[in-house]
Amino acid sequence: MNATTTGPARTPAVELRQLSHRYDSQLVLRSVDLSIERGEIFGFLGHNGAGKTTAVNILTTLIEPTAGWASVCGFDVVTARSEVTQRIGYLPSDVRMYPHLTARENLEFFAALSGLVDVSTAVSETLDYLDCGPLADRRVGSFSTGMRQRIGIAQAIVHRPEVLFLDEPTSGLDPVGVRQLRETIQRLNRELGMTVFMNTHLLSEVAKVCTTIGVLNHGELIYKDTIEATTSRFPDEASLEDIYVKMEATSAGAAT
Amino acid sequence: MITTIASHQILALRRQRVFIALLGILLAMTALAGVLGWSSHRTIVGVYGEATRLLAAQGQPAPANPFTLKPTLALLSNMVIYIPLIGALLALVLGHLSIADDEAGGVGRLVFSRRVSRNTYLAGKVTGAAAVLAVILASSLVVSATSVWIVNRTVPTIAELGRLGLFYGLSWLYLLAFALIGMIAVLATRSKPIALLSAMGAWLVITFVIPQFTSGLRPTASLNPIIDPVSTSQTFFKVTSKARPFSVVEQYKTVSGRILETAPSEPMAQTIARTLPLALLAIVLIAIAAVLLSHHDFSRGAGDE
Repeated sequence: MNATTTGPARTPAVELRQLSHRYDSQLVLRSVDLSIERGEIFGFLGHNGAGKTTAVNILTTLIEPTAGWASVCGFDVVTARSEVTQRIGYLPSDVRMYPHLTARENLEFFAALSGLVDVSTAVSETLDYLDCGPLADRRVGSFSTGMRQRIGIAQAIVHRPEVLFLDEPTSGLDPVGVRQLRETIQRLNRELGMTVFMNTHLLSEVAKVCTTIGVLNHGELIYKDTIEATTSRFPDEASLEDIYVKMEATSAGAAT
Repeated sequence: MITTIASHQILALRRQRVFIALLGILLAMTALAGVLGWSSHRTIVGVYGEATRLLAAQGQPAPANPFTLKPTLALLSNMVIYIPLIGALLALVLGHLSIADDEAGGVGRLVFSRRVSRNTYLAGKVTGAAAVLAVILASSLVVSATSVWIVNRTVPTIAELGRLGLFYGLSWLYLLAFALIGMIAVLATRSKPIALLSAMGAWLVITFVIPQFTSGLRPTASLNPIIDPVSTSQTFFKVTSKARPFSVVEQYKTVSGRILETAPSEPMAQTIARTLPLALLAIVLIAIAAVLLSHHDFSRGAGDE
């Protein structure tokens, strides 16, 4: 059941070196250096348009960087795409999946695309693991946001990836849904040994679930450290939200 | 992986109401083609019978009934019109849905974050579309053969079934081109409505506009498979009619007419040559789809349209 750790030995789960990306004339990632160790739950913070989703799009092999280098489990996301895609699971924001198909049919499709042989067993195990059994044979189009998100997580982990990328996973969820998602992430990390890379705005959740955070500001990584180190570095701030606001303000001040 | 994508596409299309509705219309029109053929034949034979009685009353001999020599499959002649009209629309929708569904739900991001290359994806989509069209046309063939059986009160011969098979094989190739146009339109535009409108625009041009130029503006050329047009005196249309071999709808109708024996006969080599532009079009469209797909941005989300 556990995600098996593979790839070149002692390599970080995720590594970015001088990574840059440009959309037309706009530079959205600026020489980002970042390393995330295996087993971490990493919270990637930043304002809208900071470049978080672009970074995830590069790491999930959807787009190629315009400069620099990125790897997952030691494999280059451009030159070793096949190796990378075997090892990652991805849940984008606002994904709707195939609304006319049932949850099981959706999962079977993505499990088969992941190269699994016993698709049916893998899907049933995943649905059971996430307590999604009652949703299995209902069409995804009839689901609430919370249900859809659970099936979205299921498609992301059906092949037991080593690294799980979540892009704004709490978007549109009610407080109960947010709590369930947090517990699911912690279980996946604890029980299946998955490294989690999570883009999010929900700082209260980051403080509860993440082991490490990074802050992206206008495409530049302005901060990265563990949650414990962060809170001890900013003893005067009451919450991670206050710390984040202070970092953004400091960064803006430095820029001007 | 190709079969996974193809079988998934078939499953997804089975749940699409628009597609099912168009499929129902096509099959109903197939049955209707038989009824119309039977009805027109019965009317003509009735008129012949009435004329025979009038001639007999006047003590004049009646000529032999020429309509008994009419080929059995001629009653399906309307199918040659229905396929480019309804069949092509169905194929456009099929091609459109097969890519647009991945775009609309933001699912393309999930597909391409797995071990799926762009070429595999395209091969899966084309295979799925080809399989769906094959099933549709096989159903249509069964309806046609049943119509012929009921109307003529005799089971179609092996030769007639062979001709029907050839006709539907040609129709499959014709419709596959339109399914590819539906896919290309989605890959080339960023909006689903514009993609569908563009594909329908291409259908209008291929089905109605080009035949007007290549047949010298004969008003019925866009519908009926007429060969040897009356020559036009306008130089412009004399020039444009030189492109007639590349008017795929005209070539489709002519070849179909030959297969169903409703069009004048011609050497077999000439009939085969008429199908080449259609095969060439399908190959060119696959190449265009591959190029567009290689540059397509699947990282966009469901709400980015």
